[in-house]
Formats: sequence, structure tokens, C-alpha cells
Amino acid sequence: MTDFAIDRRDLLLNGVASVAILALGGLAPAMAQAGPDTLENYKPVYFDAAEWAFVMAATDRLIPADGEGPGALATLVPRFIDRQLAGDFGKASRWYMQGPHDPDASPLFGFQLAQTPAEIYRIAIPEVDAHCRTTYGETFAALSDADKDAVLHDLETGEVDLKTVPAADFFAMLLANTKEGYFADPRYGGNHGMQAWTYIGFPGARASFREWVGQQNTPYPLGPVSIGGERA
Amino acid sequence: MRLQILITALALTAGSAFAADETETGEYIAQLGDCAACHTAPGGAPFAGGLAIASPFGDIYTTNITPDPQYGIGDYTLEEFDRAVRRGVRKDGANLYPAMPYTSYAKVSDADMAALYAYFMKAVAPVHKPAPASDLRFPFNIRFGMEGWDIVNRPEVGFTPPYDDAQLNRGAYIVEGLGHCGACHSPRNLMQAQEGYTAASDRFLTGGTLGVWPVPDLRGPESAPQKWSDAELVEYLTTGRNAYTAATGEMALVVERSMQHATEADMDAIVAYLKHIGLPAAGSDKAAATGAGRSDDTTAMLTAAKPDMPEGARLYLDNCGACHTVSGQGAPRVFPNLVGNSLVLSDNPGGFIEVILKGAMMPSTRRAPAALAMPGFGDRLSDDDVAALASFIRSAWTNDADKIEAETVKKIRGQL
Amino acid sequence: MARTQKKVDAVIVGLGWVGSVMAMELTAAGLDVVALERGPDRKTVPTFAYPKIADELRYAVRYELMQRPADSTVTIRHNTGQTALPYRRLGSFLPGTGVGGAGAHWNGLLWRPNAEELRLKSYIDERFGADIIPDDMTIQDFGVDYDELEPYFDRFEKIVGVSGKAGNLNGAIMDGGNPFEAPRASEYPMPPLEQTYDAVLFAEAARNLGYHPFPKPAANASQVYTNPYGMQLGPCNYCGFCERFGCLNYSKSSPQTCVLDALYQRQNFEYRTNATVLKVELAPDGKTATGVTYADAKGEEVFQPADLVILAAFQLNNVHLMLLSGIGPPYDPATGAGAVGRNYAYQMTGATSLFFKNIDFNPFVGAGANGVAFADLALSQMDFAKNGFIGGGYQSSQQTNGQPIHHLPLPDGTPAWGAGWKKAVGEHYGHSMDIVLQSTNMPYRDAYLDLDPTYRDPFGRPLLRMTFDWRPNELKQAQFFKEKAAEFGREMGADASSSFYPDGHYDTRVYQSTHTVGGAIMGTDRQTSAINRYLQSWDVHNVFAPGANAFPQNFEYNPTGMIGALTLWAARAIREDYLANPRPLM
Repeated sequence: MTDFAIDRRDLLLNGVASVAILALGGLAPAMAQAGPDTLENYKPVYFDAAEWAFVMAATDRLIPADGEGPGALATLVPRFIDRQLAGDFGKASRWYMQGPHDPDASPLFGFQLAQTPAEIYRIAIPEVDAHCRTTYGETFAALSDADKDAVLHDLETGEVDLKTVPAADFFAMLLANTKEGYFADPRYGGNHGMQAWTYIGFPGARASFREWVGQQNTPYPLGPVSIGGERA
Repeated sequence: MRLQILITALALTAGSAFAADETETGEYIAQLGDCAACHTAPGGAPFAGGLAIASPFGDIYTTNITPDPQYGIGDYTLEEFDRAVRRGVRKDGANLYPAMPYTSYAKVSDADMAALYAYFMKAVAPVHKPAPASDLRFPFNIRFGMEGWDIVNRPEVGFTPPYDDAQLNRGAYIVEGLGHCGACHSPRNLMQAQEGYTAASDRFLTGGTLGVWPVPDLRGPESAPQKWSDAELVEYLTTGRNAYTAATGEMALVVERSMQHATEADMDAIVAYLKHIGLPAAGSDKAAATGAGRSDDTTAMLTAAKPDMPEGARLYLDNCGACHTVSGQGAPRVFPNLVGNSLVLSDNPGGFIEVILKGAMMPSTRRAPAALAMPGFGDRLSDDDVAALASFIRSAWTNDADKIEAETVKKIRGQL
Repeated sequence: MARTQKKVDAVIVGLGWVGSVMAMELTAAGLDVVALERGPDRKTVPTFAYPKIADELRYAVRYELMQRPADSTVTIRHNTGQTALPYRRLGSFLPGTGVGGAGAHWNGLLWRPNAEELRLKSYIDERFGADIIPDDMTIQDFGVDYDELEPYFDRFEKIVGVSGKAGNLNGAIMDGGNPFEAPRASEYPMPPLEQTYDAVLFAEAARNLGYHPFPKPAANASQVYTNPYGMQLGPCNYCGFCERFGCLNYSKSSPQTCVLDALYQRQNFEYRTNATVLKVELAPDGKTATGVTYADAKGEEVFQPADLVILAAFQLNNVHLMLLSGIGPPYDPATGAGAVGRNYAYQMTGATSLFFKNIDFNPFVGAGANGVAFADLALSQMDFAKNGFIGGGYQSSQQTNGQPIHHLPLPDGTPAWGAGWKKAVGEHYGHSMDIVLQSTNMPYRDAYLDLDPTYRDPFGRPLLRMTFDWRPNELKQAQFFKEKAAEFGREMGADASSSFYPDGHYDTRVYQSTHTVGGAIMGTDRQTSAINRYLQSWDVHNVFAPGANAFPQNFEYNPTGMIGALTLWAARAIREDYLANPRPLM
């Protein structure tokens, strides 16, 4: 896997970001990590080992490393998802969760599941792995890239029948969370080193372009800045 | 609501008979004297005291001056009240700490004192609650010690009109007396006493310090009152902002609680007086240091936004440019101009650094209600960042002031 | 039982644009006013302060400033035969909450409606004949016409501070403005915003196609501005964090930047936050309100007595409160009887993205109301008979932000994930521009709001139920405009495109517009409207409900200008007529 070497300033700022996340999400202090900022060193706060292996493998296919631009793993997207599920998003704390729930609702009416996002991942991942074992004889993480892609495609189109949650709903959430982790401010644990912003040319949290309205059809020359003040 | 308070106050001061217009005059005197600045704590009841004033000798807590007989000044006679305000002597004979500007209030007229007394006794709601006790270091914790201070430092009671012009005299009465502008804007001697109480002293109103803040000189040729037009000065004093700058820190409170209430005639008198007392060359604070660079060089660099720009410039773009713009000039009355700004360029950078770290807010006044605020950047910027940023701003456009060291930032951050 | 507060002259439910402007008007008349805001307090600093506001995930994706469905939401169904389901997470529309309301996190488009749209039924009858209106389409006149409202539009634009160019100044057509607009008494308070490159290209193409482009009226300050309340705006810096965010720069007009500090100076005004109004309480005879009951931050019930009740909440919440409180008879679609809940309407929107490999648009250089529009296809310009639908719209360029999680257009056919997606985001980010449509939505007999029989909010109250779907009229309209946008793509020589226009049932997942309207509509006939032309309840005369709930159908232009004008219009009626002699004004 890629060596996620980082400089000291980056590490310091990420330490600050972790503290901010603690304050925001109310996570247990035990999540504070030691050592360099890598997925190998990261101790998930929500996922168990099997779930973590799935999320690592799945996000690596959703935004793969090959070609130009960073992949989901280089940008620490799994860390982002783990922290989101441990926080308010995972708990669906903003959503209306009261029943009755209609399992046969048309997708046009949006989210109608009884489970929170954290519960959906917890339920769906073993079901996907069970499907992979039945069909391919291995868990998802152990499959070839082509087989992984085939499984993801079948989830996306609902061709896999997960027992508890609709496969397409789970896939849509996983894909959305993966893109969020790729492009969100690094304070949330993903978009490591603002690599995704650098790749597409988004200046991040700069938020001041008065003098650029008139500089038309000219590439913006500066790299991104984060909320915490990191630059890339 | 206000009527109810009035009735309660009347009941508690039975036997007194004040004319209604006397309390109104008294309220105005209290506003010009800015009694609330110290005697009303943030979020506290009006005039109930409890605001901590840091002094080099320790924290001084302001007192309850509501008409509560036990914890306030409800049992003060006019004579006792007068002795406290103009001479700094409490009802029981103890001396007040000179954080109370009785050395300035000494100039207040008898008539204004009577009106002020009427206001406090009749129109202020009594608060039956003690203010915290002050905590001064020896020997200042012994009020007896204050007597020695007073003998040396206290001016005479009474106001002798210095000019043969009624407006200038009115201005002097307010600025030197009630308004006690010298309390902050004059230098202080080793005993922490104000240097000069009238314009006859060349030290009077030539700038001082307040905490880490520089307090601007008001008399030198480059000082704001001497450079700005009358209208610009009036706008600043009554709204806390004008085309160049904004009132921050203590001055924002002075504008909000005191100056905005000044009548048009009094404001004109204040301005006429300040203009009149200009000095050819003076001030503890040097003239705003400008003129070295070409303004448009910095602007062009920030506009082009090339990645190889200096660190301070990059920090400026990332943190300041949104409001203060690449020209450094901000927008009149909304975003202060940083070019030639006395707070930015002061030899004492404490106020400038504090604003970067903590932010600042304009006062909300009748004429300009918007309490426009700048957020603090202390969480985002390290001491090195602030030093680089502040040094850049002090030398950008036509600004030309000394570099700021990270050590200085660290020291000021530690005092916040 | 409920604790009782000291009685006040007027209680205002909600402290957004309507609540804050109404409070200025009523306190100026000497009334003691209390505003009750269900959400938290919000100030530019610290709530919207840079840098923490520049956070797409928190504000634009997780909707930090919006109504939390957990606290308050609606149920939705497409027709009366379905069982409505809760709108469990926000999608298609984003109601605001907190001090400033949706006025804190809008984009700042401040339009006036066409004169024809305020008397739409009469206009169609006169111009095309009543027969052209489908049987189930329940179009009505507002009951107040444009000329009556003009001074209030004018006043509200001055309060808000709008950057724009007049196209019709007292009947004289002006170069550079919208030549199809109704006459204005005065020029916009500020000159137009400077336009981004996409707008320059769009305007050129529009002219080539025979349209009359003009800068959109923007409540984003193009320069410093001081409004009649003495409140100040600073010039917009095109930060690219406008809609869904509070303004970090005192540039976007909002109750915060335009009203609140001035209001807080008034001794006869008080506001309480985290105060959710549960019900308007009525006198035993049901003809007047005695005040409101609200839940405070601790969830305790408090009764706030008042002589006057202003419903200034979001449209859906105003209707909800009226239904819960028994203010007027609820609407029954089967019989057409009752007026509260009648004529719910939405906004038909769509967007086309055009891709140009060789152009750098710098999409992050954006202002909420930036862009150029044309109104040649506005409702007032359309031949309904020829088009086969009743409606109109405006299309415009719109570069508001380059936030990559929720706004990263990719050409049709791009994979949603994998190597193809990653390659595409690298290639296309910054090389596309949007043409957006905003168009009318007509009302229908069975598009309405009532109380849900099953789902309840945390206070045990039935949720509001929305019955709504797109109709053939609107779907035809969307396709009409989709084709017009495609003409731009051809004219401009775009390399590729993608588009979203509704072409079937209403999809609650995809953000389309927060312009939900109607449900407590205004009019001159109490059989078909819940409030009269002064925004006063027909049934409970000391309750006024200015807001988008008053719109009998939705016009093509953004609603805030109309809402502000109606608020000032209602305030005038209250001050100059009602207070001296409280009674039904009609």
C-alpha cells in the first residue's frame, strides 16, 4: 500500500483536527491515535475488523488509486466514514426516525428505513460478505478487483438481495459517504492532505475571490487551504 | 415598565422631591460621564457594579451605585454623593481607588452634580446585592494608602473656563471633566496618575496604554482628531466608525454607552475643543508610518496570487482579504482600512495583535445599529503565523512599521 | 399546566424576514412585541464566522442550519390514494430554522412577480378564455394587485439592499434591465454585481438567440450599502459559500445584516429562542386569539398572551399551526369546502450543465445571486394556447459555488464511481457552467396540505401531510425549457452536457427548490382563501399570516420579494387600520 508519509506540520494540524472532531462528535477519547497518520495506524472507533476490511476494500474500488488523482485510501476515506458513523450522522440524529416504516416505499419518497446509518453498515456488510462467500467463495475484501466491481455493481442496481436492507440503499449511502470523505474538509478525517481538492483544483476553505471575478478564463494559481489553515 | 421602575424608586426615596427634567438631565450627565462603563458589568443590572478593572496593583471591582440603602448609595446625601464623585471620598470617609476618575469629575459643576444625584436616587432601580470586594496588593489594599496618592495627584475641585469661547469651554468641560477622556488618552506617571488634567499640559491626551492596547494620541499633527474633518470625527464618536476605521475595544463601549448620546451641540463642542488643542509635534505614539512602498505593488501581488508570494502575504489572502480586500482598504464604515491605520502601525502592536487573535466588534448605536464584528483568528494562526501576517500588513501597500516577532505574539496571547 | 408570561401587544411566531420586518413595523407603532423563534440564536460572528462556516460537509450536506426532520417535518404522498410517508431526511426542499430563518441561508435572489401573476385567473380569462384552464387547476387572483404593492416592493428592496438594473422605470424601458418587468418606481438600491465568465458567455448567447439578458436582482451587495434602518452591508467577495450558509462577509442580505441589530435597539422588543410555538390559543367564541402556547428550551409549556398574533414561520409551519389551532376550516379536496390547506404549490425547476474543455470557469468564484437571466419566456410573455401549458419561467446562468461534494456536474453517461468517475472529475471540474430554470407551478384541486393521521412530531402533534405531484401541464413546461437550454448548448458549442428536469413523479430526494407555497392562501372570498387580502385570517381576526403560504399558485420568480412586500402591506393595514379598531378588515 502507499506510504502515507507526511510532514510534521501536517501531523500537528491533524492532531488539532482530531481534537475538534472529538468535540463535535462526542466520541470517546480512546479514538485518539498514535503514530503517523495512516490507515494502518488508525484504530477504528466504530467499525470492527471485518467491517473495516470491507470498507477499505469497497472504497478502494469506488475511488481507486490507479490513474491520475488520489484514491479513497490515500485520502483516508475509510477513516472519515468510521468517524461519521460514530457521530451524529451515524446516529441519524437529525432525521425523523419514528415508525411505522414502509419497506416497500417507492424510492421517490427518500430514506424510509428503520435503521440508522451506523446500523445499516453493521447489518449490510456481513450480508454482502455472506453473498460474496456464497457466490465467489470469499469475503468481499478477498475478491479480485473485477469481482469486487461486479459485486458493487450488483449492489448498486439492487440485483443482490440483502436480507435486511435494500442493497441499492446501502450502496447509495456507501458511495455518497465515500465521495463526502474524498472532498470534505480534512478536519473530518478524509481528504488527507487536501489531495482531492488539489487534484480537481478546488481551493477549499479560501472563500475570498473578489479580485477573481474579473480575471476570467484564467486558471486559479493557488492550491487549497483548509478550515484549520493547512495549505497544499 | 420604565414607569414601574420609576414608582418603585420614588417609594424607596420617600421625602425627596426631584423635578422630572432634573432626572433627565442627570441621566444625560451619567451618559456623558459614562458611569455605566465601569459600574454596569456585562450582562449585569444597570449600575449594580461588579465589573473587574485590572490595574497594575490588582483587580478593582466596581461598586454598586444604585439607590439601594444597604449595598448601594441609597443613604447618601447630595453632599456625600458629591464628595465621592468629585473628591473620591466615600460616605464613611475612606478614599476611593483612583480607577474612579474623580480627578476628572472634579470639574463637574454643582448643578450637574445635583442632576446626577437626582437621577441616581430617583430613576435608577435599586439592586439589593453587594458588589464583590476588590483585591489589591499591599500597600494599595489599605485605603489609607490612597490618601498619600491623593495629596500628590488630586487636582482642585471646580472648573475654570480656560477660553473666551463658550463652545470651546463646553468642549473642555466635557473632555477634561465629565468625559474623563484623559483617563485613557493621557500618559500615566510612575504612580499611575494621569499626566495633565487640562490642555495646558503638553502631556494631556497625548496617548497612553490600556492593558496591551495603545491608546491613541489625540493632539499630534498625525493624530486622528487633527487629521480628520469635523464630520468624520463626529461620525466616529457617535457611530464608532467612519470611512477609515472602526472603534474597537474600550472605545467601542465609550461610543455605545456614552458618546452616541451627546447632543449635537455638545458633540460639536467636543470636536471644536479637540481640534483647538492640537500640538505641533507631540504624542507618545508616533505618526502613522506610511509612505515607503507603492500601494499598488502589494495590491498587484495579492491580485495575481502567485504561489511564490511571501508567507505573510499568503496568510493575508487566506485570512484577511475577504473583508479588507487586496488593496487593504476594506470598505468604508464596514471593513476598516488597514493602510495608514493607527492601531495597525502603532509602536505598541498589542491592540493590533489582540484584534487578530480575538477579533473585534463595532458598537451598536442609534445611528449605526449594525454591531459589525471581525472573528478572531487565534485558533487558526500560530504565533509565527500572526507575526508573519502582522509584519506583512505593517509593511504592505504604503504602510511602513516595524516587524512583529513571534515572541511578542506569544506574550500577548498569554495575556488574553 | 403551562406557565404564563406577561401579556404583550403582539407575539410573532418565527424570527426570519417576516418576523423581523414585522417587528420593526409594530415596535415603531409603539407596540410591545415578543418574537418566539423555535431554533437557536444566530449572529454573523460567531455563527457564520470565517473560517468555520466554509465547511461544505457540515452546512451544505448535513444541513446544519436547516430544520431538523427529527424535530419537525412533513409527510408526503403523490395522490390521495397513497399513504403518505415522512420526509425523514431533507432532500427536495430545505426549510430553515433559527434566528434569521431561511433568510440567513438563501442565495439572495430578490425578484418581484409579474403583474399578471398576481391576477392570474383574471388575466387568463381575459386573454385566453376560462376554458383553457383544466378543470382541476384551481388558479386564483391574489386579491391585491401589483400597483397596490409597488411601494412595498420598493420599500422592501431598500431594506434588503438589492444589486440590479431596472428594466422598466415608471414605464420607461431601460437598457440593460428586464424589459418585461412591471414598472418600478425607482432604480435598484445598488448597481448590479460584476458577472463571472459563465454569465458573460451566457449573455452573449442569449442575445444571439434573440433574448434580452439582464443581471439577476441580487441581495448580495455589489458595494457598501446602508439601509433605511441604518444597517450596513459590505461588498460581496464571491466566496462561493452562499446558499445553505450564513454570510461570513456582511454581504448577503439577511435579517442579521439588514434588520436585527436595529431591532435589538428597540426597548419594546424581546425575542426568545428555542421556543417552539405549539398552538395559537383561541377565545371561547373562536373569533380571536388570546396568545400562543410554546415549548421552551427545557420542553416546558409556556402561555404567551397577546392581543395580536403574527404567524411568521416558514410556509409549511404557518399552515401547520393554523390547522392545529383550528384557525379556519380545513380544506377537503373531495368537496372543495374549507380553505386551510388549499392550493399547495411548489416550483418547477431544472438545470442544464454545459461542458467546455478549454475554458476555466473557476466555479468556486461565486455569489448566491450571481448571473444573467432572460425573461422573454416569462409567464406574461407566453401564449398558453400555442404552448399547450399554462406557465412560464426564467432561465439564467448561475455560478454560486464550486463545492465538490454536492455540486460537481459531470456529462451525461459518466460512471457514478470507479476509475471512470475519478478521471471525469479531474477532467471536468472547473470546466462547466450551469443554465438553470425556475418556472411556475399551478395549483390543483388535490394538491393540498392537511394533518397526517399516523405520524407525529416530538410534541405529539400530527405532522403536516403534503399531497403533491407533477401534472402534465408542468411536465410539458419542463420539457419546453429543457429544449430551450439545449439550444444554448448548440449556440455556445459545448463539448458535452447533462441535465435534470422533472419528467415523471415528484422526487423528494433531489434538491429542487425550497419555494413551497400556498396552503393558507390570500384572496377576497372566504370560501376559497384562508386569509384576506390584508393577510388576516377570515375567521380569527387578530391572526395575520404573511408569507409564501399566501400564494394561490407559484409564480416563476423567487418568493422573498413578494413575501417582504406582503409583510409591509400587512403591517400598514395593522398600523393604520386594525389597531385603532380591531375587527375583520374585510
